[in-house]
Amino acid sequence: MFESCLRGLKFYFYMVGVSIKTQLQYRYAFVMNILGWAMTYAGTAITMWVMLYSFQTIRGWMFWELLFLFGLSVLSWSICIIFFFHFRNMDEYIVEGTFDRFLVRPIHPFLHVVALKFDVGAFGQLLFSIVALIIAYVQLGLNWQFSQWLIFLGAVIGGTLIQGGMLVLISGVAFWTTRSERLFWTLMWPAKNLMNYPLTIFPRVIQLLVTFVLPFAFVNFLPALLLLGKTKESFAPYWGFFTLPVGIIFFTICLKFWTIGLNHYKSAGS
Amino acid sequence: MSIIEVKHLYKEFKIPKRQEGLAGALRSLFHRQYLTKLAVNDISFSIDSGEMVGYIGPNGAGKSTTIKMLTGILVPSSGDIRVNGLIPYKERQRNARQIGVVFGQRSQLWWDLPTIESFELLKQVFQIPADRYRQNMVRFRKILDLDEFLHTPVRQLSLGQRMRADIAAALLHDPKIIFLDEPTIGLDVVAKERMRSFIREINQDRGVTVILTTHDMSDIEKLCQRMILIDNGQVMYDGELAKIKETFGKTRILIVDLEEDIVDFSLAGVEVIKQEGNRHWLKFNRDTITASQLISRISENYNVRDISIQDPEIEVLIRNIYENTLPLIID
Repeated sequence: MFESCLRGLKFYFYMVGVSIKTQLQYRYAFVMNILGWAMTYAGTAITMWVMLYSFQTIRGWMFWELLFLFGLSVLSWSICIIFFFHFRNMDEYIVEGTFDRFLVRPIHPFLHVVALKFDVGAFGQLLFSIVALIIAYVQLGLNWQFSQWLIFLGAVIGGTLIQGGMLVLISGVAFWTTRSERLFWTLMWPAKNLMNYPLTIFPRVIQLLVTFVLPFAFVNFLPALLLLGKTKESFAPYWGFFTLPVGIIFFTICLKFWTIGLNHYKSAGS
Repeated sequence: MSIIEVKHLYKEFKIPKRQEGLAGALRSLFHRQYLTKLAVNDISFSIDSGEMVGYIGPNGAGKSTTIKMLTGILVPSSGDIRVNGLIPYKERQRNARQIGVVFGQRSQLWWDLPTIESFELLKQVFQIPADRYRQNMVRFRKILDLDEFLHTPVRQLSLGQRMRADIAAALLHDPKIIFLDEPTIGLDVVAKERMRSFIREINQDRGVTVILTTHDMSDIEKLCQRMILIDNGQVMYDGELAKIKETFGKTRILIVDLEEDIVDFSLAGVEVIKQEGNRHWLKFNRDTITASQLISRISENYNVRDISIQDPEIEVLIRNIYENTLPLIID
């Protein structure tokens, strides 16, 4: 067991190296990718600022708090992209038959798919989110204790697992339908946009949905309540503690769904 | 001793039924109808260790589906498969260690990596002992001439080179069984011959069991003693290649160039199957009439310019079998 994990890890890191090398071959695209994403997110932040300039607050959230909320979601999302973003192409791997070869090797096919890409382009978003979080931290005059840093770390890891789990879940649908990328755009993007704002501005149904069904609320909103000490919300702040366990459980469920899907895999073509 | 055991294997696919027109497309959005296609319909066979078997059939006959079930890629709808004692889809990773797979249409190698790095990676994935790996590499480099492209990325290889790299990759971990799905597709004559002699060699020297699908009948003729012929998901023939030739090779074709048209040529066991100008193709049965009898009959009635006899080609035989779509029992 341990030995096979080690072999899997060795394989993974080797493939990461390969993937980075491949992406660096196209230097121009590489730089533009990073820059492009950083700019896109900065643009969203500026829009927020403009909006808040006229409204002052949204449901009691001021601009720097919103920036923190936004930065936190982008941080875990960019880590998620690095590891899992290519899962949205799962249908392509199936249609093109790439997936077949993963099934005739003594390594779990899931690891094979994870190892297909290590998306360096996501460093643009990572950079943006770290800068945004630092600015928000300073502007809000936060001074976290060690325990709060732990909560923050838990939120980042848990948030990565929740969003990664979503990508895995959506990709698993492809085992039945062969098509899944559309689902990614119709499910993931709205959810991502939703996460840019305090959850309480949305209808109750949506709040419940993203808390208990697809737990996006745990990615940034609930931990932000806790970390920013916002107590006058309809959610008690202690919810924010649970991002990491929720992430682990949710990811496990998604992975299970994916492995069940594997048995329904209908290899394409002849 | 049999190394592959297949019993009453079935695989069905559900295909969404397309409905005509825009209204139909909308309707099928909400209410989708499915057609069930039996890609593999009750197939049974067993293959002995060290055998070299040609698994053939027309497009869509269920060849690839069977191979994919044997390799663990697909889960059967029902039936039993044992590959060297393992149930492939249940023990994929263990099964992967004992088999090698080459899909002629798709490379098993990493597209962006130089060929040698793909090999190194496979060495790691399959945990090939260093000395074994070295021995195999020395050998494959020599027989398959890998040196000329070892440092070229796989995406830049020619088809023939890629196929050589692929087959070497499939054999690096010393599999007991190798599945070759159209290993000679798209190769030129020289490359084909080379591939065949390599396949023959690994079968003879290493006792590797080979299961081969192909559209090229000369692959089968040159490589396999045994042939499993399938159509519509069923086994049509399973046995020696020589036997099928003997049984179905009774009809031959006589090609004659005459001075004039054949007006009416009625003779028992003879049939005009094609005519181009003054050239005629006559199909006849060896049992009813011998070639010399037929020739003398023709020259009695017509002025013959040229004459030749076509041997039964295995391809033609197979086509005949498909067209008759009868399950054949020969013993």
